[in-house]
Amino acid sequence: MGGYLVFVEKLSKLMNVIAGTALSFIMLLTVADVILRYFKMPIVGTFEMVGLGGAIAIGFGMPITSVFRNHIFVNDFVEKFPKTGQNIINIATRLATIAIFALISYNLFLFSSSLLRSGEVTLTRQIPFYPIAYGLCFCCFAQCLVMIGDIVKVFGGTYE
Amino acid sequence: MNEVQVGLLVLTITLFVFLTGIDLAFAMIIMGFLGFGYLISFHAAMNLLAKDFYDVLNSYGFTVIPLFVLMGQISFNSGIAKRLFDAAHKFIGHIPGGLAMATVMGATVFKAICGSSAATSATFAFVAVPEMDRYGYDRRLSTGVVATVGTLGILLPPSVTLIIYGIITDLSIGRLFLAGIFPGLMIATFFVGVIYGWCKINPAVGPKSEKYSWGERIKTIPEVLIVVGIFSLVIGGILGGFFTPTEAGSVGTFLVLILSLARRDITIKGYIKSASESVRTACMVMMLIAGSTVLGHFIAVTKIPMITADWLISLTLPPSLIVILIALIYLIGGSFIDDLAFMILATPIFYPAIIKLGYDPLWFGILISITIMMGVVIPPMAICVFVVKQITKEQFSTIYAGVYPFLIALLLGGVMVFIFPQIAIWLPSVLMPG
Repeated sequence: MGGYLVFVEKLSKLMNVIAGTALSFIMLLTVADVILRYFKMPIVGTFEMVGLGGAIAIGFGMPITSVFRNHIFVNDFVEKFPKTGQNIINIATRLATIAIFALISYNLFLFSSSLLRSGEVTLTRQIPFYPIAYGLCFCCFAQCLVMIGDIVKVFGGTYE
Repeated sequence: MNEVQVGLLVLTITLFVFLTGIDLAFAMIIMGFLGFGYLISFHAAMNLLAKDFYDVLNSYGFTVIPLFVLMGQISFNSGIAKRLFDAAHKFIGHIPGGLAMATVMGATVFKAICGSSAATSATFAFVAVPEMDRYGYDRRLSTGVVATVGTLGILLPPSVTLIIYGIITDLSIGRLFLAGIFPGLMIATFFVGVIYGWCKINPAVGPKSEKYSWGERIKTIPEVLIVVGIFSLVIGGILGGFFTPTEAGSVGTFLVLILSLARRDITIKGYIKSASESVRTACMVMMLIAGSTVLGHFIAVTKIPMITADWLISLTLPPSLIVILIALIYLIGGSFIDDLAFMILATPIFYPAIIKLGYDPLWFGILISITIMMGVVIPPMAICVFVVKQITKEQFSTIYAGVYPFLIALLLGGVMVFIFPQIAIWLPSVLMPG
């Protein structure tokens, strides 16, 4: 149990490093483009690279956001229940979240595969879309792992 | 059941699901998926899930959010706020309630580079409350003012709330930023008025601090000018058509980072911390947008926004009363879930009605932002108060006792914008006619 939670946290932190790097990259790329534009040397494809970078920054930041419980939630009502009731509600909400993210992940996988088959690329830089879509598919899968971790914590009595 | 009944049922269930402790964004995705699946088909709903998720995350327009969040986070971690507070302290600290007024002034300037309410309240809770404690300020005033000044960032650019409103309603973010400036400054002035009045009635709540020489005061001016310069470049760049909002966010972040690194206010480690925290905050906001996009597609299928708009304009009530009712719905709804989340949820429903009633969408955005400002400091979901409590370890009752006088200022600000829409729409109409 403990090993699983450590694994999930390490995976989330690793993904957070990727997300932070992507965020820094889009910031620097945009600044470079703005500066070079005034020397009539714009970085071709900045628009699309920033969009793709943004997807990596947010997608890969998703698991750590859940690990730290940075998403907005309302707990006041649930806290009025006895501990067992709270545990049941927490497990039910996590199962629902796992189900929806498993669905998103599966459908993103299908979507990525169709992008790969069709060979769809960005307009100027010709960057293929499918790696980003596969990446987001993985992010949703990792989100499911974090939610499973929450359930493990509930059973272990360490969920707060 | 017809589409509207299904829509209303799903929205009602969604509000109950919000109370289960589930992340609100995920609840919106789940309920939007189920509703869309029921009305159209589950196969179509599954496609919608993947497409909406991919489109929201892989959007150039939305990258403005993490970039402005990063700018605010670097500012938060780099000590800029402390310098701004010190500058204001040296100018007006010696008058009764001066340190509380300095908090308002420091926060108003700080908001020019930090768009987060909670981060501003946290920063000034660290910086200003110990200083006010040192001079014997009443804790109601010191904690109340730091909790409330955070709300200014909802109106003053670069406000994340206004960016999100702009994205939802497809309005120009530059024009919204301009629309927020005068109402934001007006409310900041009202805050100073509240402090002045409070200290006049009971001088013991805000004693005078020491007086500084003009030489010492003038030395602090460059700090303020640097922040105002960055703000002017960022906002001026958008207004002048030199930057897109995303580029403005990048340039502003880069300048704040370079400034902080050059002064050794932040280390590379500090930057990594800022980037990591920004990713989490931005992810929280973006998931809310992804959730509202899925739920929004379902709501669109139910035709509820159009029916709501038709119903509202068919009421025999004066249009201004309808707007007040809508604002109250935002205030009450935001109190039970979260103000930002409720705005994201409710705007697609009420916005068509506002347009049909003939009101200016910029004005409505500012009015709704003022209700959100009230929402973040009134119970039960008072995020700025929670942050101040956590840092100052003060009791809720004391902080709320300090917040309530400032609520009068917020209410007055809302009434002024409601009666005189020009306060909000004059500046964009002059500088950025749409």
